[in-house]
Amino acid sequence: MIAKRLSQQILAACGVVLVSAASAEMTRLDDQSLSAVSGQGGIYLSGDISINELGGPLDNSYFGRCEEANKKCGARFAYQLKENGGWMVLDDIRGNFAFEGLTLRVRIIDSGFGGDGELFDRDVLELGLPDVVRFNDVRFKIAASSTPRPTDPGFQQTDIFSVQMRGDVIMEGNLLVFPEGNP
Amino acid sequence: MTDRYRITGGLALAGWAVLQAAPVVADMQRLDDSVLSDISGQSGLTLEMDLQMTADRLSYFDDGEGIHLEGFRVGSATDPDGQAFHLVKVDIRDDAALNLGYLVEDRRIEFGDIRLAGAPGLSMGGLFFDHTLAGSLTIRPGGAMGGVGYTFDSAYTMTGGRLGYRTNGNEVFLDDITLDVEALGVTLDVVGSALELDAPRVTGSFAVGAIRYSNNPLNHGNSRDVTTGAELPSYGGLSGAFDLSSRTSLRSGGRQGQGLRIDHEATINSAHFLYVDDGNALALRDITGHYRIEDLRLDVTDDWHGRSALGLTLGSADGEFNIGAVELGASGRSLGAVNVSFLLEDQVFNGRNYTNAIYLQGGGHPDAGEQGLRLATEWSLRLADLSYAEDGNRVIFSGLQSWGRGDVTINVTKDEVRNGTRFFDGLRIGFEGIEAGYRINGLRVGDDDAPLQGGTELLLALGFYPAYDFTLNGHVTLGAGGASGDGITINSDIRIRNGRAALIAGPYDDGAGEMPQKGVWLTDLSFDAHIRDMTVDVTEEGLAMVTAESWSTMDVGNLRLGDKLSGASFGRFIAQKYEAGSSMTIMPGGAGDVCAGGTGATADACSASGGIWERRGEEGVTIKLKQILARAADENRKNSFAWETNRQLGSDGRPVNGTGTRLELNDIYTSDGGDFDNDGVDDNTFGIRTDLSVDVYQTRVVKKTDGPDSLGVSGARGDEKIMDASAAAGYRYESAPSDADLENRPLGFAVRAQSRFKELSINNIDLVHPVGGAQTVVYGVKMQNFDIKANLTATPIP
Repeated sequence: MIAKRLSQQILAACGVVLVSAASAEMTRLDDQSLSAVSGQGGIYLSGDISINELGGPLDNSYFGRCEEANKKCGARFAYQLKENGGWMVLDDIRGNFAFEGLTLRVRIIDSGFGGDGELFDRDVLELGLPDVVRFNDVRFKIAASSTPRPTDPGFQQTDIFSVQMRGDVIMEGNLLVFPEGNP
Repeated sequence: MTDRYRITGGLALAGWAVLQAAPVVADMQRLDDSVLSDISGQSGLTLEMDLQMTADRLSYFDDGEGIHLEGFRVGSATDPDGQAFHLVKVDIRDDAALNLGYLVEDRRIEFGDIRLAGAPGLSMGGLFFDHTLAGSLTIRPGGAMGGVGYTFDSAYTMTGGRLGYRTNGNEVFLDDITLDVEALGVTLDVVGSALELDAPRVTGSFAVGAIRYSNNPLNHGNSRDVTTGAELPSYGGLSGAFDLSSRTSLRSGGRQGQGLRIDHEATINSAHFLYVDDGNALALRDITGHYRIEDLRLDVTDDWHGRSALGLTLGSADGEFNIGAVELGASGRSLGAVNVSFLLEDQVFNGRNYTNAIYLQGGGHPDAGEQGLRLATEWSLRLADLSYAEDGNRVIFSGLQSWGRGDVTINVTKDEVRNGTRFFDGLRIGFEGIEAGYRINGLRVGDDDAPLQGGTELLLALGFYPAYDFTLNGHVTLGAGGASGDGITINSDIRIRNGRAALIAGPYDDGAGEMPQKGVWLTDLSFDAHIRDMTVDVTEEGLAMVTAESWSTMDVGNLRLGDKLSGASFGRFIAQKYEAGSSMTIMPGGAGDVCAGGTGATADACSASGGIWERRGEEGVTIKLKQILARAADENRKNSFAWETNRQLGSDGRPVNGTGTRLELNDIYTSDGGDFDNDGVDDNTFGIRTDLSVDVYQTRVVKKTDGPDSLGVSGARGDEKIMDASAAAGYRYESAPSDADLENRPLGFAVRAQSRFKELSINNIDLVHPVGGAQTVVYGVKMQNFDIKANLTATPIP
């Protein structure tokens, strides 16, 4: 049974099972199966999201607008894993991405999946992945910092590496979410 | 004119004078045809009267149950011991019509208390009505059915009006009312056992200068406080105009034994309504519609708990209203048009029969004093459709149903702790044990005949769950005065228990009969929300709400998937919010011109960047939010989030909260990024600022799989969905849509959003074991300098 098998192997402790997308089994849920869920709710989302396209709301010695070469205009995310320790940082986060056809709905799986669906026979939350997600100049840096704010006294930061993403990412299939384990 | 005549004439006309604001019925019948014939041809009579009349009690009895109007007085509005001046000119026209011209100056009609004989210790409170009235009334023999009956022509102007409600020394009243009404050709007939009143056309206009509040017992219908001389605070003013026709039928007989039956229908040919706050208006324009009330019964009776009450029970009511434009702010721009159709009728919900009834009782909140109003209420909204249209694009939330039963209390209260309960200045609307719910079947786009679709979860963007049932307690107190000048100040404490709210919900009836709704449900929900000093003002920009302090706890016992009762659970979720100084402004107009999926300020530049240039029109809604997340003040007032799973089961087989393992995000707060005013505390004035522009707009929707879809419409993967009324399902798929096809893309909500914050922190993230206690896994999170923009379109799944 697909639920039992996956739940034991993946995320049983969390009580949530994420079924990986784009698998061959997912395509077995044919339109006959879909017709059984006619009328169920759900929405279809398209759009684009940008982060710090021109800069953020802070204007100080560290942050500024993107045309200011000596300042950073991206967002900053810092977290501390050890009490009184240093801070891990995702710094200068910027970029934008666009997608078309991300769907969200609840449906019952009671067929398909090579026969496992009939045994599964449960409701799932289905995130239908958009076929293509276009990334445009998505970038950030991984760093280690002595203080949470770059404007704090004694601030020191070591940039470890940078990430930059541009292009299309193919995301086909569905992400199925359903409860598992003891709530 | 002798004193004797004046007194006699005054008494004869006193009842008429009292009742003339309502349809004139009883006293007019005293002048029968023989009297008319006797005085025909005379030049007329002029009657003057200075009237002061009091009565300890007026009573109405119905099947032995009584209701008493106590402290009845007619006299001067300005002098408690003075008289009201009445002048009536009586004339008989050549066509034997009786013509009355009248002037009433400075008159007050009031009741100090309204009590039920079965509950003499409780009062519904007092009412007063001040006015100066000038008008004419012509009465002709012969109604709509012929010789038996009467025809009336009436026109009057009321100025200096006040209409107030008073409990325990506090009062709310409409001040400076002016009203012009003309009703021509009104007929009164006896048809069978019914009295039929037909008003083919009633036109008029009204204005309320201010809606005032007083907590000084010495004030009684005063615009200024008699102690301080200061003008009493105002909720704002009203104005409007109407053109309507109506037919009303009155019969004897209540729901049980004696009583009164009312059947009524009306058509609103045109109307408009304005709420005015310091010169800025919220305007509902181009209102049309109709409604019908069938079998409304009035009884002095007992409610379902055996409490004495004045019962209003309804057979059914249906109607439809259109508001052509909802305008807001100084610009006069429109948010769009609204249409609602409804049917109130008995219906079984969740295995229980609901009716439509209100049982009026005295008392209000038990701690507020003996005066107040208690409405034991039950409603059954069998069906309603609610549509919103902007720039010609229409979305219909179809199949809205609602049901409920419980007590609503109304008191005018003042800021005090009384009998252990905290009250605030204003009109307090209390909720006691209201078990209620609502649900929406689906979405239709374009017109009423369009196929039913999913997508009601789009309402979440507007802050509404698509389905919700709950038990409600608490209050909302509406105080007078806004952030400056007129306006409303809200204080509220709300408790919801046994809640089941849908985040995503399928239909409850897909055409094959009622079925359980499938979705994602917040169940076993408890929600406590508190608001302090939230001011609501209509400003030049729009509708502005600024909250001094608010905090809430939402405890979701089980987040269920599938069925709301039996669906599997993700566990328990707890979200706490604590904000200080947050605000929201609702403005007319949506996103305007948008480059979706690209960049550029012009259509060409947008297209060159790979985007789609969209002209979303003039109407729509823009919401500006500022959320100041405050640092934790105590365990109830903080921002936090927790997820609990692996709970132990209780004796009833249900998970016991607090016995599982929790992930806690504790003390989440915003900041400006430093202590710039050197007060030792980080500044927190920027918060999270979000601008949302929402339009109903066409969007590109493509098919994601080959073959027929859920409604049997075939297409290939990548084909575009095109709305087509001639197609069986209301749409088709096109691989290469023409320009004409592109004009018929599906409608949905288009949202342009921008969210910014300078700094957002989480103090700590803990894992909490029921035995081992809390273990901190993250000792702090600090997010800075975020500016996120999004263009999203949301449509029902094809």
